[in-house]
Amino acid sequence: MTNTEYQNEYDGILKTLQLYIDGSRQGKSELMYTAFHPDASFFGYAGEQLASGTQFLFDWIDKNGPAPNIQPRVVSVDILESIAVVRLEVAGWSGNLAGSGVRMSDLFTFLKTPSGWKIIQKAFHWHAAERSLVARPLV
Amino acid sequence: MPERNTPQKTLESWKQIAAYLGRSERTVRRWEATEGLPVHRREHEKQDTVFAYKHEIEAWGRLRTKCPDSMDESENLSFPKLSTNTYLAEHDAITRTMHCYIAGARAGDGDLMRPAFHPSATISGYCQGVEYSGSVEHVFQWINGNGPAPNINPRFARIEIIETIAVVHLEVQHWSGKLAGANARASDVFTLLKCEGEWKITHKLFHWHDR
Repeated sequence: MTNTEYQNEYDGILKTLQLYIDGSRQGKSELMYTAFHPDASFFGYAGEQLASGTQFLFDWIDKNGPAPNIQPRVVSVDILESIAVVRLEVAGWSGNLAGSGVRMSDLFTFLKTPSGWKIIQKAFHWHAAERSLVARPLV
Repeated sequence: MPERNTPQKTLESWKQIAAYLGRSERTVRRWEATEGLPVHRREHEKQDTVFAYKHEIEAWGRLRTKCPDSMDESENLSFPKLSTNTYLAEHDAITRTMHCYIAGARAGDGDLMRPAFHPSATISGYCQGVEYSGSVEHVFQWINGNGPAPNINPRFARIEIIETIAVVHLEVQHWSGKLAGANARASDVFTLLKCEGEWKITHKLFHWHDR
């Protein structure tokens, strides 16, 4: 991979990731649909409960609503030709379901497709054990 | 291999290791895969050979919390606790899960690697330009169809643990078999989830390198 090719691939991955970040910030899952591969999966523990499936994620984003203060940071981007893995740390999660000021660690795996880099899996760890992702809105 | 040529302190084949432990070859192969039975390999042009040191086997036996006699074929996930350090314990549990995958790949036995995966696990990647995405059952079928790949030579390029999730980058050289061809190289990225105390692969992402 030449330097230019590497930068193009890197930027393509980050562009896709930004769709996820934008959708999370605005609380609109429709903004992130195109970031995900049709066969994408989603896994992680929300407290004691196993959350899985991208539909769970999309529903959660919509129910959570806006999270205007999220602070995403890219920890690593590793590209292996047609596949890639990105670790993202997101601080400052808030919203109807998230509560406030909580942190999420995400591992995204990407597949390069004819229509660009797509998220094929998102695995997450929620750093607030006392709050459940499936809890009712905080009153 | 003639017994008289074997140094006293080593066991020079699966047969000898199995006899030493009083178990079948299949069981001791599984113990290597899932429980860290210390087995070494010598690289040869055609096929690697295995050997084990008796003192290592005995030390391994002492560390196991369960008596080998109480183990049966269905108990292959009862890992012994080998480390008291929390990080090392998680790291070792992840590599044991990965060795279960590697043992299945080496033996060409999909069922041998099945315990390494979460039931809902999926795979994605390209094989000869065609995208494969779907259930992990495709992996088991491919492994069975490919048959043994005795010379695969895996290296852990990365093991990253974030509490309940982890990512493992495995580089595997010398893939062979009916489907892999000869001397192929694959890069694999596995995502794992700690599920009821056990690390399970939830996703396998692969890239076959051009020859």
